[in-house]
Amino acid sequence: MARIDSDPLTGPAAAASSSGGVDTPVDLTAAAEVGEIPPEVLAQSMGQYMHVWWQRVRGGDSGVLPVLLGLVIVGVGFQIANGHFLTPQNLVNIFEQSSIYILLALAEIFALLLGEIDLSTGLVMGLGAVIVAELVQPSGAASCALCPHGLDFPAWLAIAVTLLICAGVGLIQGTLVARVKMPSFIVTLGGWLVLEGVALIVLNGNPISLKNVTVPAQVQIYNIFWGYFSPTISWILLAVVLVVVAAWWWFRDASRRRRGLVAPPPIFTAIKIATVVVAGVVLVGLCNTNRAHFGVIEGLPYIIPIVLFVFFIWTMLLQRTRFGRYVYAIGGNPEAARRAGVSLPSIRTWCFILASLTAGIAGVLFASWQVFLTTNIIKSSNSYVLLAVAAAVIGGTSLFGGRGRTIHGILGGLIIGGIYNGLYLMGVSSEWVDIFIAIVLLAAGTVDVLSRGGSRSRA
Amino acid sequence: MKSPFGRGPEAVTGIQGDLKPGAPGETAAEAPQDVDLTAATGADADALPLEIMAQSLGEYLRAWWQKLKSGDSGLLPVLVAMVIVAVAFEVLTPENAYLRPSNLVYIFGLSTVYMVLAMGEIAVLLLGELDLSVGAVALMGGTIAYKLVQQPTPNWPWWLAILTSLVCCGVIGFLQGTLVAKLKIPAFVVTLAGQLLFTGMLVVILGGADGSLSVSPADPNQSVLYNLVQGSIDPVVSWVILAVVVVGFGTMMWLRASERRRSGLVAPPASLTAIKIGLMAVVGVVVLIICTVNRGGVFATIEGLPWVIPVVIVILGLWTVLLQQTRFGRYVYAIGGNAEAARRAGVSLPRIRIWCFVLCSATAGFAGILLGSFYYGQYSTNVGDPGQLVLYSIAAAVIGGTSLFGGRGKPIHGVLGGLLIGGIAYGVSLMNLGSLSIPLEYILPGVVLLLAVLVDVLSRRGARTGSVVRV
Repeated sequence: MARIDSDPLTGPAAAASSSGGVDTPVDLTAAAEVGEIPPEVLAQSMGQYMHVWWQRVRGGDSGVLPVLLGLVIVGVGFQIANGHFLTPQNLVNIFEQSSIYILLALAEIFALLLGEIDLSTGLVMGLGAVIVAELVQPSGAASCALCPHGLDFPAWLAIAVTLLICAGVGLIQGTLVARVKMPSFIVTLGGWLVLEGVALIVLNGNPISLKNVTVPAQVQIYNIFWGYFSPTISWILLAVVLVVVAAWWWFRDASRRRRGLVAPPPIFTAIKIATVVVAGVVLVGLCNTNRAHFGVIEGLPYIIPIVLFVFFIWTMLLQRTRFGRYVYAIGGNPEAARRAGVSLPSIRTWCFILASLTAGIAGVLFASWQVFLTTNIIKSSNSYVLLAVAAAVIGGTSLFGGRGRTIHGILGGLIIGGIYNGLYLMGVSSEWVDIFIAIVLLAAGTVDVLSRGGSRSRA
Repeated sequence: MKSPFGRGPEAVTGIQGDLKPGAPGETAAEAPQDVDLTAATGADADALPLEIMAQSLGEYLRAWWQKLKSGDSGLLPVLVAMVIVAVAFEVLTPENAYLRPSNLVYIFGLSTVYMVLAMGEIAVLLLGELDLSVGAVALMGGTIAYKLVQQPTPNWPWWLAILTSLVCCGVIGFLQGTLVAKLKIPAFVVTLAGQLLFTGMLVVILGGADGSLSVSPADPNQSVLYNLVQGSIDPVVSWVILAVVVVGFGTMMWLRASERRRSGLVAPPASLTAIKIGLMAVVGVVVLIICTVNRGGVFATIEGLPWVIPVVIVILGLWTVLLQQTRFGRYVYAIGGNAEAARRAGVSLPRIRIWCFVLCSATAGFAGILLGSFYYGQYSTNVGDPGQLVLYSIAAAVIGGTSLFGGRGKPIHGVLGGLLIGGIAYGVSLMNLGSLSIPLEYILPGVVLLLAVLVDVLSRRGARTGSVVRV
């Protein structure tokens, strides 16, 4: 078991290493998910590595390349259309706005990996936003139907309760999908509608705000989206994170190499670390330029480390744990996974719980972002469902299950955020934005279907 | 490896059982080329009624009861639900206003949109697919038709406007159907994107989010669109139409049954045919009595059969004939029951699938035209929420008895389910619920949809001829 944990890169290489005397559990990931085995696992030098990578791209398995290309196109295109697009202030703006799309896409990926879909993520977000805002209303404030006198929760408790409620929604939906075996799109479509009603009940027609500076909980929640570190702390934080990441990668690969396990060549590890360092420095550099029209706003917004932290946890969960392997196995071939002894109902239920939980986190951010919550918030949550699916699929997650990674959510979310921001800068009206996003979603779906190359063709 | 034809030996007996003993040459003479897929796939057990073998009314009733006991309850649940809803709201609403004739006619007008949308949706559901764009397509259809009859330009005749609108919606369906059937992108993604796309285009056609279109009952051309739901047929004419329809349809049913009996084919007992005709007449008379009560109030007289009732009946008739009397319909059921079996039997899956999407979207477009008329000839982005319309229409179809898993369902399910949904929606709005009434507009259809699907899933599980069992 210990060997497997240290060797998540499964496939032929893993099989070879397991024959070295380790009693591995059934390696489902390998069976279910041929497309994810990196062939570069076998490469020993940088040259070989690049060669294998190029072959893989030519073979149709292009990984994150198309979405990175998409990001470049979006960036260059909108920069040409409007010179403000690539200014540091606007880029930070895009990062902040994209955080919602990224979290929703991460939520959606849990359902998509199983080959299911969760259409309720948008409204779970809306419900989470309304609940967290209601919970921090001070005593005596005009408040929700269920808590007429204001609950005045501390911020951490309000957030915890919100996330718990959202996870509960996921538990109910997951149970209906996994145990009652209702189709997920219908369960979550029904959930969408029911949650819209529930959110309206919680809001009870009263607009509420998070702008009351005398309530510390409101200030704290407000700061989740709008707060930022000072430039110095931003740099220190970056340095700490970079050192930890670099050390971890370097020593992991070194240790693997020493023990004779499959590992990328050292130069590749170095390049990976260098890329992250450059990206981090550029990011913090951008955030540390003054982005205020009047006065000074500079420093890393809290939201960026928050999103990265969620991303990190979910990546660990999906790519380093048995749970994650089972998720991919079910998405690849549920029947094979079942025969190998995976409990389908419990994994499926957990995925829906995690999806709703992540959407709940997005809800807390959404409340913090919007500050004033009215019924319009609930209305606008409707369109976020589509954006979540679009972000995940554009990022490279397959609609058919078993293929997709958390990084796809980040990249897809950034593309959606960039498009929204760019079209807004150009003064395009909202209906054309909708049309544009729909076309992007259709294009992503088409690419997904075509890239599968009919491997698992339908009748 | 399972048999490609879902259930093996039963299907064979099924085909033979369709014929009375003593007429062996009949199938060969009738349609030698025509493989009866519905029977063969076994997907649609209720397309092969047990009572077909019954020779007398007693036997027939017994067969019907047995079918009911085995879980194949047909229209009974939705009819029972309608009675429960009617009684419950009559008791719950203030002043017991729910079952007043004026309200009943209003409920029918409200429900027509859901009924027609659900009939379109059923065509796609029968395939085992789903169309989430019907709401947006309906609003598109209505907007196009209303745009084309505007004065002074383009001022098209009403029939051309409706036709153009239906063709446009059909083209939308064709595009979506092609993506689903040819490129094999999952239907819910294509139609979800479609919903977003056409909602956006709708706003563009309306000329901005605040744009609106209207038709006037005073203009002879526009009044046709206005009157589709709002207009009524004169009471005397209504009675004449009812008489003609009952006599004509009754004669047709009677003659066909006796013709079948004469030529030795399976036919229901004569008493059953008589009961059916009688039932039709009674329902018609009751509906007409309700409709001929003055519902206009003190200042105006509004009485007579609303146009929309014959309109819905015509659409229902067209869909029923298409799905249950034609080869196309049999293929649709065959694909829904077992797509692979249908493909091996030579059915062109993409073509049938695309056509279903085309017809679904065109029907949805017509529902959109009715929606405008229901709102007194006004069209704006406020007449309907596309997402809500879709959910109502799927809920209507599933509540009516159509399965989400394909192969099981009839157009009549859409009509009854739509009426039930409209009845619930209106009943809730009649009750004094204060601030709960708006949230309930969302929660109720959601809960009803989930319950209907739950029943569908559970009844599938117990059914003899389940389609592909999900792991």
